[in-house]
Amino acid sequence: MPTFTRPGGRRSRPRWVPLVILALAAGAFYLTTTFDEVPAILKRGMQPADFPQLMIGLIAGLALWLLWRERSGEPPAVPRIVSITMAMLIIFPFLALVDLFGGLAIFSVALSFLWGERRPLALATVALLVPLMVFFLFDIVFEIRFPRGILTNLWYD
Amino acid sequence: MDALLSGLGALADLHLLALILAATFGGVLVGALPGLNATTGAALLLPFTITMEPIPAIAVLITIYCAATFAGAITAILINTPGTSASATTCLDGYPLAQRGEAGRALGIATVSSTIGGVISVICLMAAAPLLARAAYNFTPPEYFALTVFGLSMLATIGEGSAVKNLLAGAVGVLLATVGIDLLTTVERFTFGFNELSEGIGFVPVMIGLFGIAELIAQAGNLTQKYQRIKMKALRLPSLADYRKIWRTILQSSGIGTFIGILPAEGATVASMIGYNEARRWSKTPEEFGKGAIEGIAGSEAANNSATGGAMVPTLALGIPGSPTAAVILAGLMVHGIRPGPTMFTEQATFAFAIFWAMLLVNVLFFFIGLFGAKVFARVTLVPMTILWPTVFTFSIVGAYALDQSMIDVWIALVAGLVGYIMRRHGYSVVPLAIGLILGGILEQRLGQSLVILDGQWWRMLASPLCLLFFTLTALALFGKPLWRRVGDNPEHRRPS
Repeated sequence: MPTFTRPGGRRSRPRWVPLVILALAAGAFYLTTTFDEVPAILKRGMQPADFPQLMIGLIAGLALWLLWRERSGEPPAVPRIVSITMAMLIIFPFLALVDLFGGLAIFSVALSFLWGERRPLALATVALLVPLMVFFLFDIVFEIRFPRGILTNLWYD
Repeated sequence: MDALLSGLGALADLHLLALILAATFGGVLVGALPGLNATTGAALLLPFTITMEPIPAIAVLITIYCAATFAGAITAILINTPGTSASATTCLDGYPLAQRGEAGRALGIATVSSTIGGVISVICLMAAAPLLARAAYNFTPPEYFALTVFGLSMLATIGEGSAVKNLLAGAVGVLLATVGIDLLTTVERFTFGFNELSEGIGFVPVMIGLFGIAELIAQAGNLTQKYQRIKMKALRLPSLADYRKIWRTILQSSGIGTFIGILPAEGATVASMIGYNEARRWSKTPEEFGKGAIEGIAGSEAANNSATGGAMVPTLALGIPGSPTAAVILAGLMVHGIRPGPTMFTEQATFAFAIFWAMLLVNVLFFFIGLFGAKVFARVTLVPMTILWPTVFTFSIVGAYALDQSMIDVWIALVAGLVGYIMRRHGYSVVPLAIGLILGGILEQRLGQSLVILDGQWWRMLASPLCLLFFTLTALALFGKPLWRRVGDNPEHRRPS
């Protein structure tokens, strides 16, 4: 396990990851208290909240252990290109809501461009050829019905 | 014996054989591409298998598993970048040998070792899985529960990361498995009013997110990596002198790989590391290791390919995945309504043995594909990442959608991808999360059944010798390594030099 040392020579102890886990565990525990209870004769060994609460207890215990004992530091900064790629993944659902395959085409060409591709043929491959091939493969061969959108309506109507 | 023959008969179908051949090519392609591995390949292909019958579907996934594990050696030897993590140790001697102008010989040794290792492990699988299943046939729910707990405890040992972080990820996976309607009481849990979540979080979108989309994000950080490809004239089979030097290593590593594969959650990567180290330890010329020793290539490749067969033993016989890719295959089995476990060898024996024969066939097929096609497959490393990864993304999203034709699954895959990347950055393996999600439902069900049988007195589980054995093994898996380290660090326990 690599350890990271601050310039002053003191080991850093990032606490935010276990703290986030603890906060999520607390939220999940609260949700378990809202689960319906079943009469004793129907409970089949456990109430619906029992097993999740057992797991949340384990998660909280392990997160506390990490908070107390783990001596790993912050990983190196996220490269800018990785951050932009993640941001694009967060934006993708909004594009997909308009049209799934339109969103895929825009995302793919943007990702390819972001990663340094400038050849028009390569960009056209990921923006047009691949989504079209995948669409017809799933639509015709696997008979999958995709959500309607601006572009998919052209095929379905 | 009947099941053995009927399994072979089920495989005697031209359509199925063609599918296995195509999947072998696909698997070699996946394994040869840096960044893609057997687990990602199987996760991406899982949605394509949904419309197939169970035998072809699982045969395709298993073929990808075996072929990709083998093909990782191609890039390891030719561009010093393991196609899969299981081939990392193959780089150590494969690349130096290739640099000396013997790339064909290095690939020949890798191909032969992989084939022998794979075939030995499938034979072990054919013998061991039904025996293990027969032994487990009379397990009671408390014993099954204890066994599943043991399987989950082995998650602590995955990879080189922190055991606590692995367990934490596994526990989160088990918690995620509780989303949806509780099968024991029909009460909704963590659904937030979404009907789509009533049946729980699907394995397929989570697998696609954790293994496909998270890898895409990680690859964004590797764009500056330059590959130096070594040219290869033709693949050369090992000479008689080579065989004399490596046969013992191949057999030893095949045994090691099969055993490591059988251990729940341990996969080909661990097997190849141990296989390589043992090959060096027993070698007459250990000083050659790292400089192009053929025993190093044989030790690593025989071990990682034999781990594939070994990993399928607990997966099929007990329903506990033997490796990350086996977890994806287990998800595939469940999606097809097949519950792996002891009953599989009595109720679906033809299915089980058809899968074994398919695995054996793949190990023979990739020998010929490696022999005649390695040079061609080496060229796939030239596919630009700017085309490969947008294509992977398109397949990931459509694959996540296709299973239930639900956009919720697409959002789940995207969230799993982002979470998977953040986990990897902070030293949390995504494999325990995936395995926890798969085993979570079974664990809760078996605990519930056990509590009914034991009148809610869980401590009575300890009265069963088998439960006691599994709980002891669990304790060893969790605390054995730190205790051993502590004893080793204690000056009083050191031998005087």
